[in-house]
Amino acid sequence: MQPFELTLTEAAAAIRTKELSPSELTHSVLERITAVDARLGAYVSVVGDAARHAAAQAEREIAAGRHRGPLHGVPFGLKDLIDVAGLPTTASSRVRADHMAEADSTVAARLFEAGAVLVGKTHTHEFAYGLTTPQSRNAWDHGRVAGGSSGGSAVAVAAGAATFALGTDTGGSIRVPAALNGLVGLKPTYGLLPRHGVTPLSWSLDHVGPLTRTVQDAALVLAALTGHDSRDPASLRTGPASDVLPADGGLRGLRVGVPATYYFERVTPEVEAAVRGAIERLRELGAELVEVDIPMARYVLATHWGLMVPEASAYHEWTMRSVPGLYGSDIRVLLEAGELVTAGDYLRAQRARTLMRQEWAQVRERVDVIAAPTVPMTAAMAGQESVEWQDGTVEGVSDAYVRLSAPANITGMPSLTLPVGRDGAGLPIGMQLMGAPLAEATLLRVGQAYEAAYGAPAVPAAVLA
Amino acid sequence: MDTPELTPQEAARWALRAGLPLADERHGAVAATAQHIHAVIGTLRELDFGETPPAAVYAAPWEATHATL
Repeated sequence: MQPFELTLTEAAAAIRTKELSPSELTHSVLERITAVDARLGAYVSVVGDAARHAAAQAEREIAAGRHRGPLHGVPFGLKDLIDVAGLPTTASSRVRADHMAEADSTVAARLFEAGAVLVGKTHTHEFAYGLTTPQSRNAWDHGRVAGGSSGGSAVAVAAGAATFALGTDTGGSIRVPAALNGLVGLKPTYGLLPRHGVTPLSWSLDHVGPLTRTVQDAALVLAALTGHDSRDPASLRTGPASDVLPADGGLRGLRVGVPATYYFERVTPEVEAAVRGAIERLRELGAELVEVDIPMARYVLATHWGLMVPEASAYHEWTMRSVPGLYGSDIRVLLEAGELVTAGDYLRAQRARTLMRQEWAQVRERVDVIAAPTVPMTAAMAGQESVEWQDGTVEGVSDAYVRLSAPANITGMPSLTLPVGRDGAGLPIGMQLMGAPLAEATLLRVGQAYEAAYGAPAVPAAVLA
Repeated sequence: MDTPELTPQEAARWALRAGLPLADERHGAVAATAQHIHAVIGTLRELDFGETPPAAVYAAPWEATHATL
């Protein structure tokens, strides 16, 4: 096994026991990038020299007995919306051609403090305003979409070109590419991870979070990133709540909500079968299954768009007037048309969010987690614009990918996606676990229990050079 | 409630009122996209909000305090 194939948890253990050095691991990951990235397009830029320098420093610190923790000496990628001092934050856009970040974002600073080694900045759908990331290719089938908008981060981790990565999630942008590339992705509770130094798409819906190959890996990254930062006005002062499960490791007593509406509608048969099978396995592990109705399902997309569209147009107001031709055509027209959304429309969406928050809280009074498909279909072909469902309706690919993710952005509740199988073409299928605000520990515990009992080996995708 | 068709000329005028002058060749595409956005978000007009206040951002501490978990 090559070092780049190790999960974060495995790599951390090998570094701790000095079986593997940070330099060996970083060298292996950089070589992997060189071997596969021309084909995958995961990275905007790779910082090989800085990574080798940081790995060598980590190695010296660890040798001197100053081991900072599980991320020390571990290589990672950052979605190129996240500032690192001295590097451009391109947002994968020509608009940012001359950008240079003057300071680290809070999350980057915390990873550096934990001793992690940045290997590069990963592609995003331009300014995170899309669900496919056309610059990157799916790690398991290069003719298919990476998912987005954190597509580069997902592809890098899935291919072994980063041991872990960070992404952002406004309507599924961590969970969608994670699911489509066979990864774990965590959208934490709104406000749990500070967004200072992260380019916004929509302030009231944006989250930062990890993409990893295992649930345990996601837990390790999350632990390094939590903590209040007053420079993000949404940053919480409270940390995650403790686990609701008994400490014996099983799921006995856990109430799992199984949606009777919305989440299994307009979903491919293979995705439905895989997720229902995974939910049945949770029952076999001791959980009690409880049927739940999803509130206000008809208004999910309307509320999400009513919030995101005007917020995105507001952020881009000046550049839309000064350099509109530098935007890609798909997001330019969205930003222009978004200026035609009225304050009345926006307030209506904000009031709908209030109602949705209240009604989801009532659902969560009956269950500890809700299990559902992350996305209704596996990775679409590159360039595919729409999907036709069995009921005869036609849906845009991006609308389909955002549909099951958006409720967690609107309500702010945490959502963890993990791989639960493959379709007939070998493409990964993801299941999301949603819980109460700040219930990350419970979601991670359930995900780990599933992974330990039924998870497939978390090996990187084979990529032909 | 169906939203009345938005013409390219109306979209251009509306954008100008928002401070965004659009070149002629943008009018059609912006009108079509704006029409679609309004069709989607227009469903919120079905809701009787009564005394419901807006949630400018999601407030997790409120939820954490009031939820049973």
